[in-house]
Amino acid sequence: MLKQKILIAATALTLGAAAATAAAESVTFGVQAPITGQYANEGQGIEKAVRLLAKQLNEKGGLLGKDVKVVACDDEGKATQAALCGRDLSNQEVFAVIGSYTSGATAASQPIFARANILQTSDGTAEQLTQHGYKLFFRNAPPNSAEAAFTGKYLVKAKQYKRIAVIADHSSFAKGLGEAVTASIKKEGGNIVYNGFITAGSQDYRSVLTTIKSKNPDVIYFSGYYSDGGLIRSQEKDLGIDADFVGGDANQNVKFGELAGKSATGSVIINVPAPENLPYPEAKSFLSDYNAAYGENPPSIFTLTNADGMRAIVKAVQETKSFDPSDVAEYLHSLRDFPGFTGPLGFDENGERLGSAFQAFEIQDDGSYKTVYPAN
Amino acid sequence: METFLQQLVNGLTVGSIYALIALGYTMVYGILKLINFAHGDLAVLGAFIGLTVITGMAGSGGAPANWIVIVAFVLAVLVVAIAGVLLEFTAYRPLRHAHRLSAVVSALGASMFIENGIMLIWSPQTLTFPEGIMPDTAFHYGTVVISATQISIVAISFLLMLALYLYVNKTRFGTAIRASAIDQDAARLMGINVNKVIVSVFVLGPALGAIGGLFIGVYYRQAVFDMGWIYGLNAFIAAIIGGIGNIPGAMIGGLLLGLFSSLAGGYISSTWQQAIVFGLLILILLVRPTGILGERVAEKV
Repeated sequence: MLKQKILIAATALTLGAAAATAAAESVTFGVQAPITGQYANEGQGIEKAVRLLAKQLNEKGGLLGKDVKVVACDDEGKATQAALCGRDLSNQEVFAVIGSYTSGATAASQPIFARANILQTSDGTAEQLTQHGYKLFFRNAPPNSAEAAFTGKYLVKAKQYKRIAVIADHSSFAKGLGEAVTASIKKEGGNIVYNGFITAGSQDYRSVLTTIKSKNPDVIYFSGYYSDGGLIRSQEKDLGIDADFVGGDANQNVKFGELAGKSATGSVIINVPAPENLPYPEAKSFLSDYNAAYGENPPSIFTLTNADGMRAIVKAVQETKSFDPSDVAEYLHSLRDFPGFTGPLGFDENGERLGSAFQAFEIQDDGSYKTVYPAN
Repeated sequence: METFLQQLVNGLTVGSIYALIALGYTMVYGILKLINFAHGDLAVLGAFIGLTVITGMAGSGGAPANWIVIVAFVLAVLVVAIAGVLLEFTAYRPLRHAHRLSAVVSALGASMFIENGIMLIWSPQTLTFPEGIMPDTAFHYGTVVISATQISIVAISFLLMLALYLYVNKTRFGTAIRASAIDQDAARLMGINVNKVIVSVFVLGPALGAIGGLFIGVYYRQAVFDMGWIYGLNAFIAAIIGGIGNIPGAMIGGLLLGLFSSLAGGYISSTWQQAIVFGLLILILLVRPTGILGERVAEKV
């Protein structure tokens, strides 16, 4: 009799405890992004997308029955802040980190997450991000080298520019892309008449542009970010430089057009397709959800590549039925043709994104993008 | 040659903006021997006030562009001048007789307060000025292009500097300002209301700074809450190059700095532009420790 009572009590206790843990159990996704500062608009887009995805998961009963939570850390696009975010998010025992936006900030937090056994996915396109051998890191946007090869071909073969000026800034991303594009132009047999740097955020690029003007280029290529690219384009026109403008992927942001104003028309940006131009049904439905939730479109394609990174991790958890980062990583390394918002998605053994097509698109009078290369 | 002339035009424009902001540093230092580190942020506050007026008025339509710009400048000047006086009352006056370091710390705190205030009110994002506010006419001389905006910035800056110079050197109150700069106690004994002089300096300096800040806004068509630091630093360097405390010195320092940094960026390396500017500062301080027009300060024994 006594035995039975104890048994019942014990069962009740374990049941109670199980119920309590089930209710309290949650999995936390961290966002590390530049929520304030120069790239605030991109960082806020990433945070909004992750929160929206988490909300959608929770409405469907969470992830493997766990409630999905989101914590965000603002790295301001700076390496020092990024390292602090690394510690902060690790201390909060997040399962995976989405971000950051800039390669520099990502590189600073990478080793911290790697040591803390936390999955990370970032759109940072600097080559070296996937060269450290971090098994839990996944790049969700195509790397600089793929973009550079496309850019070289576009400038030299498709447009047949004869005098090319290349400008970069000193961020690890823009410098890397600028060097890769320079190499790619040379490989295609193009002629570079100017190769130089600007200081990001310094607002006045007239002294560099005046020097470039004296070299008489037929195109100016800029590998840096939209906040500088828009001003470079507008100051180029102010100075009466009659050269086309081609910008790297980080110029693709609505702010580029605002900053360049009328001069934006005719500038060409090289990137994977813009959010509005994605042909995939998943992307269209997410865009309308995003619009319904926030009353605006995502600021750029990187909002969606980061969302894809998170979705790939979620998919891996669901398929492996495991929250063990190494199980998830193993699954992701063999993932192929997952229907991402930004096209079929997969990762190679280094966590490098596989598959995605670059396009060159021209900004029209009304601010919309028109794909000019490759012709559809 | 034409490239060189274009660099001169670019440098002169930026230089006059630096000079306008530098005047605020130098006037406050002249009277109080205090570096007002919040001055750059006051200038940026001017840019944001102007931006609000311009987007508000341009959005509602009706008003012609010229009037919008004038109203924006007037309101920016008024609001920033009031902010300058408030700053003096709250951050500097209580510390007037404290150690000089305390006032410097208070200045840094005020700078952060204004900067973060701007961020909270206007958002941390880069804001853009609408197009078509400044006339987009440009004059071509060979390949040299001078825009109407550049001409207005340089012309208005020079007029303001000339007016300030005449005010300080030719009027009765200007004499009181100069007297207070030399010796506050003696000035007080001569019947000068030194507090009134100090307030006037905190009206004039920030007012000119607000115009400089709004020039930055309309010239680059953008404003970011944290740009006060770099423009403040450059204007501060300009004030030191010219001889801090000396009004014509700040003007010369600003123009020199703008021209020099434009030429350094164009002909040497834009990567090293800022480093070269600091190099110039060190060089000038080595040769003339009090700056170009700074007077020799006799050590009180």
